[in-house]
Amino acid sequence: MRRALTLLACVLTVAARAEEFSFDASEFEKKPFEFGGYLEFKSERAQLNRDSSLYKLNGLDLDTLDRNTATLKFNAKYTQGITSLNLRASTEVRHDNLVTERTNRFDEAYVSLKPDPGVTVDIGKQALKWGKGYAWNPVGFVERMKDPNDVELAREGYTMVAADFIRNFDGDLKTVAFTPVLLPVSDQTNHDFGKPDHLNAAAKLYLLWHDTDIDFTWLGSGSRTPRFGFDFSRNLTSALEIHGEWARMRDVEMRSIDAAGKVTTRTSDATSHLIGLRYLTESDTTWIAEYYRNGTGYTESQLTDFHYLVDSGNPALFAKAKQIGPLYSRPNVGERYLYLRASQKEPFDIVYFTPSVTLIANLDDKSYSLTPELLYTGITNLDLRLRASWLHGSEYSEFGEKQNERKLELLARFYF
Amino acid sequence: MKKLTALLLFLLAFPALSAGAIDGAQILQKVDRNLEPESYEMMRKLINVEPDGKKKEFVLYSVKKGRDKIVALFLAPQSDKGRATLRLGDNMWLYIPEVGKPMRITSLQSVTGGVFNNADILRIDYTEEYAVESAEEEKDQYLLKLKAKTNEVAYDKLKMWVDKKALLPVTIECYAASGMLIKTLRFKDIKDFGGGIKRPATLETDSPLYKDYKSVMLYAQIKKRDFPDEVFSLNNLSRVEDLRK
Repeated sequence: MRRALTLLACVLTVAARAEEFSFDASEFEKKPFEFGGYLEFKSERAQLNRDSSLYKLNGLDLDTLDRNTATLKFNAKYTQGITSLNLRASTEVRHDNLVTERTNRFDEAYVSLKPDPGVTVDIGKQALKWGKGYAWNPVGFVERMKDPNDVELAREGYTMVAADFIRNFDGDLKTVAFTPVLLPVSDQTNHDFGKPDHLNAAAKLYLLWHDTDIDFTWLGSGSRTPRFGFDFSRNLTSALEIHGEWARMRDVEMRSIDAAGKVTTRTSDATSHLIGLRYLTESDTTWIAEYYRNGTGYTESQLTDFHYLVDSGNPALFAKAKQIGPLYSRPNVGERYLYLRASQKEPFDIVYFTPSVTLIANLDDKSYSLTPELLYTGITNLDLRLRASWLHGSEYSEFGEKQNERKLELLARFYF
Repeated sequence: MKKLTALLLFLLAFPALSAGAIDGAQILQKVDRNLEPESYEMMRKLINVEPDGKKKEFVLYSVKKGRDKIVALFLAPQSDKGRATLRLGDNMWLYIPEVGKPMRITSLQSVTGGVFNNADILRIDYTEEYAVESAEEEKDQYLLKLKAKTNEVAYDKLKMWVDKKALLPVTIECYAASGMLIKTLRFKDIKDFGGGIKRPATLETDSPLYKDYKSVMLYAQIKKRDFPDEVFSLNNLSRVEDLRK
């Protein structure tokens, strides 16, 4: 009887163990058509700053703004031989105290041809992402601007023809990849890229040289003024990475308004650059720090002049400020910024739990936004994120004059 | 008599030879090749087990070429599907489809959470990263003490116990430069994968830094296969899926 019980216990243990760690790889056979995506619900409450310029420009009469957003993102890929069709679409419904809006769009829809492992040609709408910066990418010449408050947010692409020619070598120079791009702009196609009726040429040359990623980027004259730049990224140790970007833009037109309401347009070359690092401490805290010099940004006194006009109480000056307002209400409109993010992996032995805090500061007027965040990914195919934001700054400073003063946001994302 | 004295002096001066010296470097080379062929593809399931028994699973398709080129594509769960990681020597990158471009990662970070870090998931040949400091013979195992060749390697030192007959690792202890034990890797369940590949199908790990947690890697469909060098480049990270047959 004792033997039988021992034998039964052994059998049960082996069975439990086998069940615990089984792997049937045939469940993951490749299929010609694959799809996936996620459904996301986001609920936000923003405490508005009634004294701020942007609040006044937007003509609001609210203390708080509650917004609920439902987003469906859908990805699909169909592969046949050397050809694949790639789709990335989204539909979003946003409801707040003021309005209900619906947006449907294809972020990407392109055909990819791969005749050789070292050659790819992509035709259609696609989102190219150039640069090594985490929060900003001054060398991203053919993409929509990144939101430093949500760097992983999917961005809409442009319609273009792009190719990749890749060669690998032994030695100090390990990889060379060349990416030429043709991007047409007309009233119907890529109309928000720049001036219409141009076929814009751009290119990126990538090198992996002495264990350092180096990119040279270029955009020719056309819908935008010509520009060129480079970036780099390198691991210095098993826990430290450094990166940087530098971009030179020719003949950039900058419009500004002075304290008397006079609008001036100045054309000159502009240089932007960024230097940053990512460091993992022994206690699993990841630090990301970036310094960004925005060559097309407004100086502290230019920003002060604009906010002063909005605050002046003079209807004529307010109207002038409102007219030029969109230029001043862009994200990161100043000249010098610091981005600092600290995230702690799985504190208190809670796996898949990542608290973090992000600081974005305008170094000229000393205003800043501070964003603590709690992220939990412990439930398969579900991400839960709680995020708060505080914006702080003196009168007429960038973050002190934003519409929001504080914000609380809860996000749930289900993957399928 | 003179000849005998000379021989005795020689043996005293080189005791290792007299004891039948163990060539640790050669053993390590054999361990590398017995674990995997130089160029191959394989499927892996990675399971993170929490103290209460709760599990999170990832499935990866990986291809490797030469001693230091490896790329891995996440096939599951859906939240991670399409993510790809590339390693070329000491360089590592992660590609997230939503972000749309590769970013450099370091060997001590973990793309999956849990006890395995990037160096474990994108492991290249041990001989590429470590030099053998000493080799000892135990009852039915060899004990190799390994030292990292550069400071970019995840673990500064390894103690590797190798099965004498199979020349496959049994247990590996991983240490930081401070001497602290970071984790222990245990290789189990030797299986014949065909094509002359016979190796452990299970790798378990635990760490004093993650008390009561463990992570497990299960191997399947390991096959010899050659790939062009261009597969192992940043520009191809969004297209790793195309390699699957």
